[in-house]
Amino acid sequence: MTQAILFYLYAAIALAGAIVLVRARNLLHGALGLFATIIAIGGLFLLLGSEFLAAMQLFVYGGAITVLIMFALMLAGPRVNSEDQPSRAVYWLAGIVSAAFFVAVALVLWRTEWHLSAPVVHDTASIAEILFSRYVLPFEIAGLSLTIALIGSIVIAREDDVLGDGTDGSDAPVGSTALPEDEGGLA
Amino acid sequence: MIGLNHYLLLGAALFVVGLYGALTSKSALRVVICVELILNAVNLNLAAFSSYVAPKQAVGMNFVIFLMVVAAAEIGLALAIIISLNRSNDIDAIDTIRRLRG
Repeated sequence: MTQAILFYLYAAIALAGAIVLVRARNLLHGALGLFATIIAIGGLFLLLGSEFLAAMQLFVYGGAITVLIMFALMLAGPRVNSEDQPSRAVYWLAGIVSAAFFVAVALVLWRTEWHLSAPVVHDTASIAEILFSRYVLPFEIAGLSLTIALIGSIVIAREDDVLGDGTDGSDAPVGSTALPEDEGGLA
Repeated sequence: MIGLNHYLLLGAALFVVGLYGALTSKSALRVVICVELILNAVNLNLAAFSSYVAPKQAVGMNFVIFLMVVAAAEIGLALAIIISLNRSNDIDAIDTIRRLRG
């Protein structure tokens, strides 16, 4: 009973946050809506019996990614004016596509017979057992790709404008300006 | 009693709201944030499947961890591209970005 009450509470918070994110005029309010959704999904992870995922949700999403989005909003906030909103046809089309997708998923869920088994609480040790035995190679590759992606984002967002300023971007190849002295070392 | 279908329906609803937001916004930042919402919905589905359908091994929970890594990499790169575009010539509306069209 408590579980049902908590589930509906978290679900309501998550949906309300998502709708705030979509409908908010000020994107800062939208980011706060995303934050509410993230917190609620962390609570749902806790209900699903994985306290490790709940903690990771709070750390990674609630902490790091939300702060990153806030920084990006303050550095490069949206400059779209109100007359730049998409036309009504776009809203209708997106609404129809989204509603059709939801109905399709709900129909599939309605008709599928799941082979359910009794829920088991996954403590952190049982996650780590699989992560560091069967999935150790994907784990290493994920860490490596995360490092590469973050180095790449530093290179892209650097002050001296890797993407060019539109005046001489056509004659200068991007790679030569992106990596001035490290190319010899990498090759 | 809360079952698997409750979690899956909630995940589908969050996914659809994120999809609607990503389709209807012209601001690149809002698109990126909506993609984060979509990834969160998928995370919720994976965790629900893991704990209801195959609870013997925590495979779905591991998928959630990998998806968090992918989401972190994605948002780092996307925000870097947005900041770089914004710095170079003040554009944020995604249908005016033509730099990569060649």
